Amino acid sequence: MSIDASWYLTLAAALFTIGVVGLLVRRNVLVMFMCIELMLNAANLTFVTYARALDDVGGQVAVFFVLVVAAAEVVVGLGIIVAIFRRKVGATADDAHVMKG
Amino acid sequence: MTASAFGPILTAGITGGQQAFPFLTALVLVPAGAAVLVMLLPRSATWAIRAAGMAATLAVLGIAAAVLDQFQAGFGGYQMVSEHPWIAPLGISWTLGVDGISLFLVLMSAVLFPVALAGATARENPKSFTAWVLFLEAACLGSFLSIDVLLFFLFFEATLVPVYFLIAGWGHERRGYAATKFFLYTFAASAFMLVGIVSLVFIHQGQTGVTTFDIRELASTHLSGTADIVLFLSFTAAFAVKAPVFPFHTWSPDAYGESPAAGSVLLAGVMAKLGTYGIIRFDLGLFPHAVVVLAPLLLTLGVVGIIYGGIVAAVQHDLKRLVAYSSLAHLGFIVVGLFALTGESLSGAVLQMVNHGIYTAALFLLIAMIYRRRGTFAIPKLKGLQSSAPVLAAVFTVVMLASIGVPGLNGFVGEFLILSGTFLTHRWWAVAATGGVVVAAAYFLWAYQRVFHGKAEPVTGEAPFAEMTWREALVLAPLVVLIVALGVYPQPVLERITPSVDALVLHVEQAAHPRIPLAGQPVSGTLAARTSTAYSSSVTLQLGTGGERVPATRATGRETKGART
Amino acid sequence: MTGSTAILASMAAHLLAAGGIAMPRIDYTAILPELILLGGMLVLVLVSSLSPRPLPTEAYATATVGIGIASLVASLVLWRDVSDHGPFTAVARAVNVDGFGVLFLVLVSCILVVAPLLAAGHLRREGVGGCEYYVLALISGSGAMFMATANDLVLIFLALEILSIPLYILAGFDHLRESSGEAAMKYFVLGAFSSAIFVYGIALTYGATGSTNLAQIAAFLARNVVTSDGVLLGGLALLLVGFAFKVAAVPFHMWTPDVYQGSPTPATGFMASMAKAGGFAALLRVFVTTFPTLRGTWQPAIWVIAVLTLVLGAVVALVQSDVKRMLAYSSINHAGFVLLGLQAATARGVAGSVFYLFTYSFLVLGSFAVVSAVGGKGDERHGLERYRGLGRRQPALAVTFAVLLLAQAGAPFTTGFFAKFYVVEAAVSAHSYALAAVAMGTAAVAAFFYLRLVFLMFSDVGRTIPTHEGAATGGTPTDTLEMPSAGGVATLVAAPVAALVEVAEPDPAIVAVSPWVAAGLVLCVATTLVFGVWPQPLVDFAHQATLII
Repeated sequence: MSIDASWYLTLAAALFTIGVVGLLVRRNVLVMFMCIELMLNAANLTFVTYARALDDVGGQVAVFFVLVVAAAEVVVGLGIIVAIFRRKVGATADDAHVMKG
Repeated sequence: MTASAFGPILTAGITGGQQAFPFLTALVLVPAGAAVLVMLLPRSATWAIRAAGMAATLAVLGIAAAVLDQFQAGFGGYQMVSEHPWIAPLGISWTLGVDGISLFLVLMSAVLFPVALAGATARENPKSFTAWVLFLEAACLGSFLSIDVLLFFLFFEATLVPVYFLIAGWGHERRGYAATKFFLYTFAASAFMLVGIVSLVFIHQGQTGVTTFDIRELASTHLSGTADIVLFLSFTAAFAVKAPVFPFHTWSPDAYGESPAAGSVLLAGVMAKLGTYGIIRFDLGLFPHAVVVLAPLLLTLGVVGIIYGGIVAAVQHDLKRLVAYSSLAHLGFIVVGLFALTGESLSGAVLQMVNHGIYTAALFLLIAMIYRRRGTFAIPKLKGLQSSAPVLAAVFTVVMLASIGVPGLNGFVGEFLILSGTFLTHRWWAVAATGGVVVAAAYFLWAYQRVFHGKAEPVTGEAPFAEMTWREALVLAPLVVLIVALGVYPQPVLERITPSVDALVLHVEQAAHPRIPLAGQPVSGTLAARTSTAYSSSVTLQLGTGGERVPATRATGRETKGART
Repeated sequence: MTGSTAILASMAAHLLAAGGIAMPRIDYTAILPELILLGGMLVLVLVSSLSPRPLPTEAYATATVGIGIASLVASLVLWRDVSDHGPFTAVARAVNVDGFGVLFLVLVSCILVVAPLLAAGHLRREGVGGCEYYVLALISGSGAMFMATANDLVLIFLALEILSIPLYILAGFDHLRESSGEAAMKYFVLGAFSSAIFVYGIALTYGATGSTNLAQIAAFLARNVVTSDGVLLGGLALLLVGFAFKVAAVPFHMWTPDVYQGSPTPATGFMASMAKAGGFAALLRVFVTTFPTLRGTWQPAIWVIAVLTLVLGAVVALVQSDVKRMLAYSSINHAGFVLLGLQAATARGVAGSVFYLFTYSFLVLGSFAVVSAVGGKGDERHGLERYRGLGRRQPALAVTFAVLLLAQAGAPFTTGFFAKFYVVEAAVSAHSYALAAVAMGTAAVAAFFYLRLVFLMFSDVGRTIPTHEGAATGGTPTDTLEMPSAGGVATLVAAPVAALVEVAEPDPAIVAVSPWVAAGLVLCVATTLVFGVWPQPLVDFAHQATLII
């Protein structure tokens, strides 16, 4: 029994929503970062599903690009987080509150 | 269709071919170039800076005099037009021209700038001061001379920057508040004018396929009722704030009061005229229909301004603010004259713009002289100045009487023409405005009595009030001469103003009563010349003999019908 | 070693034989400006690693300016090519070399010429050596260039990341200052968030249209009447949100004030010009050329976003007491003006937006450079009060700032006026009268906070102020805008700038302006005033910035 493409798409949409909501409600920077990864992977899943449905290789290629970009983001993002929290104990977004306005 | 006759009429006459010398461009570029030059001079070269400033403003006066000499009376259209493409893709051009309406405003500005520099220059940091004044002169003259609407707008806005810096840098205690308030009021009001200009050009482009900002072309744009009114309001808001017209005047007492002397002279003398000039040139020229529809409203605002300005001036304790409010009243007169829409009242309004510039500048200079001696503008602190400075008091009296509108001095002619012209079409407004003349007489005489009469109370540690110096007399002399000359013999001025005003009245009349078809008639240029001659003589008649007054617009109508049959 | 090569070769052969992937012919001249930036960046890194002792930051700045000039020349050659032979696509239709794209190549090159000069003073003062700042700026610039010329959504995404990731690092470049790290983190999290949204938008668009190539999407939409395809509309909305984050349009602007305030000040200026240039380039291209058929759907959305952006930017800036924060909100207001051109969605609108971005880039770079100088060592003194009396202390610097601020306010005879005029004209010709009126209303509001700053600087030029006798001996003023070494044009402009107001009172509050920064500032002021009086060349330039599909 084959699974309809719409299931994958729905799953991707759900993942994406979880990512968005998670990013907006969670305060831990690492968790926020994971939520972004979740969103990117939801996009990847969508790409692959559509590539399959459309019988087009372009969508699959896009996934590779997204993966590479995600890796680059991880490198930079973790670097920034480490640089900041080397001086601090916890790693929550609320700790960073020097600027207000 | 109704408005299309305006273009040919205004373009008729002398467009000058190619002038040997670009007088009008020089009028703008000379002060601007001098300003840059002054900026390049070292700060310590005070003498050179002042000399450069005076030389430049006097050179402008010379060029303006040459323009007056070249100007051919009896034509309603633009003269000495110099036209150069500037930003071609957007249809913006450097188009300058002069007609009877702008001619004397240019001359008045050219007179007031050297006077202001000579009579009220800054002691501190004269370099920046002179540079800003010269920039202001370039911007003001550019505004009066622009035929291209966007060029006008650029110059109109460009006046704000120097004035802002003049007030903020050299003003009195509350200068920051006054300068910012001035800038924001005028900037905010003209922001919408830009949208109005662009909309008008766009509508014109839709009708003709030509993108142009030339007012001569734009005047023939056919506007729907709503667009007409909205665009009119967007323009008028800018002009009403600049003038200022009641109730948009609240910035002006602060700005006039806190300005340095030169700032007040130029603000009240020249800049205020940008507002009323904008009304006559752009509102009446571009939106005649809306003008006719909304004239009662603006007439009422003008009259309220006259009465309100007079009453508030009467209760001022500060001489400078008193003149500021009296200015509001006088500009109310001009607005009434503009929106009464008769040839007589419009000619009077244009003349009154010039007159008001001259005597208000003189008043502010006199007040600055008092301030230099006593360090205050407060009326209660001044008393009995006449006994120690009779010449100053005498000059003050002459200028004040001109401001009140006493016959024989220049204020009378303008006010008289405005009131008699308004009386023909808007009787009750004229009556109410006449009340303003009485109020003006009252508050000025009362203030004069308090300041100059009585016995001077000796204040310990203060020198006795000094008489006017030669230098001060020299500064005021040209203004006093003009006050008397224009009061006794305004005819040469009116001769040059009326043809342009006639053409404008005709244009507005056609928009209001489209049943007088003139559009497309090849003889329109001749016709304009004929009506202006007829009207010119009618003015002569009124002024010379005081005989039966022929309403200008009706005369125009008759001429028109005569021409058709 | 050989084995793995053989495996790779056989894989490649297999793929090629299968016809799955054909290696495209790459027209290197079409992407020469980008290649110059990336190549130059590599050279910088190499030189910095190989040189026996650390080179001064000015050396790297000079090299970066050279790279910027080289890419400017390459861009202008491309411009000539496009205007002579018409636009073309390259690299398997992934890159679009048209007037619009090349104009952004020129703009990015110009930014890369000016920005290093402005940054050098800051880096020297803060004692930050090395080539990293310049390398990151060059990478970011190449990303902005690819964004402007990309013809494929996936390439736009890649370029967006190439643009953004170096900016995250630049935001946190002052690693000793806490607010800088905070800015980097906020920028990074929200930037990555918006990228993820953007990618999901691409995925949905791909699903709905079957391609990520802009031309193919447009062709698909032209062939098929799409009225209510939820997937496509969802994709479009997500793309818009992603772009709106990047260009700081309300309601996706919340990162802007913190990031602008916390970042090293020259980096803020760079970020504001570069991210806006790249972001708006791609935004304009994608919406105007790819989705013209859905105009009725997205135009109202842009209308709402533009109004919110204009109003919020202007109004909130009013109450700021930190100059960087104020300029951050003012940059939001400017983004609203650029959106006017997009909302019009006409050739004239695109030209207006391009013109606006071009002029604004110089204004914002210069403004933040002045703020950086006034901020002093540590880059932390950015209160409004710091500017009181600057016109007396350092007239040249104050006049420079005043020109840049007044131009941002839209004063006549500056580029700022024509920029506003251009987009307002575009809005009016697209019948968006209300939007144009709102925009000009906010311009008047914005004038207030620019003027407040100008007033603080100049309120006492006409006063007699008691001189500080004791301070006269302390430190010579280093505010030198007269540079003996600068070229003819620069001195021509520098002389009036330096001469406009008088020599400063000797005062301990004098801030240092290095000749590098002065040179950069002179360039910014020169473009603002020269093109403000004679905008014709720039208008012509923007007029030819046509988009192709």
